[in-house]
Amino acid sequence: MLLTCLAKGFNRENIESRKKLIKIAEIFNQNNPVNIIPKFTWKVSPVITAVYDNINAIKEVVRKLKREDFGISIVISGIISEIRDIMNEMSLNMHTVHLSLGIFGKKELLPSEQQILEITTMCGHHCISTQSIEHYINLIREGKMSIEKAAQNLAKPCVCGIFNTSRAIEILNELKK
Amino acid sequence: MLIKEELCIGCGQCVIICPVHAISLVNEIAIINKEKCVECYVCHRDADCPTRAIKSERLKWPRIIRNPFSSVVATHKLTGIPGRGTEEMKTNDITNRYKHGEIGFSIEIGRPGVSTFLKNIELFTARLSKVGVIYEKESPVTAIIIDEEGHINPELKEERVLSAIIEFKISENKLNKVLQVIRDVDKIIDTVFTVGVVTRVAGDNSIPVINLLEKEGFNVQPNAKINLGLGKI
Repeated sequence: MLLTCLAKGFNRENIESRKKLIKIAEIFNQNNPVNIIPKFTWKVSPVITAVYDNINAIKEVVRKLKREDFGISIVISGIISEIRDIMNEMSLNMHTVHLSLGIFGKKELLPSEQQILEITTMCGHHCISTQSIEHYINLIREGKMSIEKAAQNLAKPCVCGIFNTSRAIEILNELKK
Repeated sequence: MLIKEELCIGCGQCVIICPVHAISLVNEIAIINKEKCVECYVCHRDADCPTRAIKSERLKWPRIIRNPFSSVVATHKLTGIPGRGTEEMKTNDITNRYKHGEIGFSIEIGRPGVSTFLKNIELFTARLSKVGVIYEKESPVTAIIIDEEGHINPELKEERVLSAIIEFKISENKLNKVLQVIRDVDKIIDTVFTVGVVTRVAGDNSIPVINLLEKEGFNVQPNAKINLGLGKI
């Protein structure tokens, strides 16, 4: 997942920075994201997100962003070793990292199936319910809905556009069995 | 959030979509459990209610606090950013919020998908304040801490939200004390929480804090968010 963000008190209030943010969003969009934050938000949201299902697309976007040198913050969310390889290949230095130590506390409250948790956590704000996944799996099994349509429907509450529909299709395929 | 019983046809769309299982069908009418509802507005926005029976209502204090902690489209007045957190490391190449020698933490209580009472924040903040952490000024959680002992506004303790993020930073020499707080709360909390650790990357693209965390028995996940350093003032 790629993300660009304006900094409050530094460039968020600047019209030129907003224009650059929109140009970055266009570059995100030109490189075949499987999901992207809706276009109508580009003019107002301080954050633009896009999800890709292959590392080459991300590499291409980073290459263009480095060349354009917009000066706006860019964040990649993904496997650390893969991101490090991209950075080394492009002679870039990673600036700051946000590591995850995982889930703690009363884990028995989580869904018992790891694959369901994998889908719900695709939405960083956790707007996707476990029962909606179960509902769509039943519809798929009964032949009443395609897997692709189910993945699109599941993505709907994730307004940030970071839900990975390609990965959701893979997981739904596994779960229908 | 409320459902107009006279309009509800019992289709169950809202029951399916609710992230916290707060809606159920009783005699073929959708009913919201007000204690469980976190006012995330997902049902209102995305259930496609065929009769538009789902209505937003004017929330009163303290219930109104549920919405900015639960709805992704609600912009908190303090942060000016949609969602529950701040920019944190996303713009660190511009803001320099986290410097070399500092470690940032984001502890998200209630995530993933379980939700939490706001009183659970205090399980952490009462302990973290003794360690001497520096809370992120623009975090919505920091705004409800009322004293230096880490207590939160008592009027808000019984309010339920989808999740709440405690954001703070420390100098590296306090790392073990914070990790001990995480271990202690892990044993007593009645919900789930996730832990994120923010650090600057070394010049050779290595991340030395990973070794420190693993030495203390914490499992660093293979995926992360990484600021590419392309931002400039």
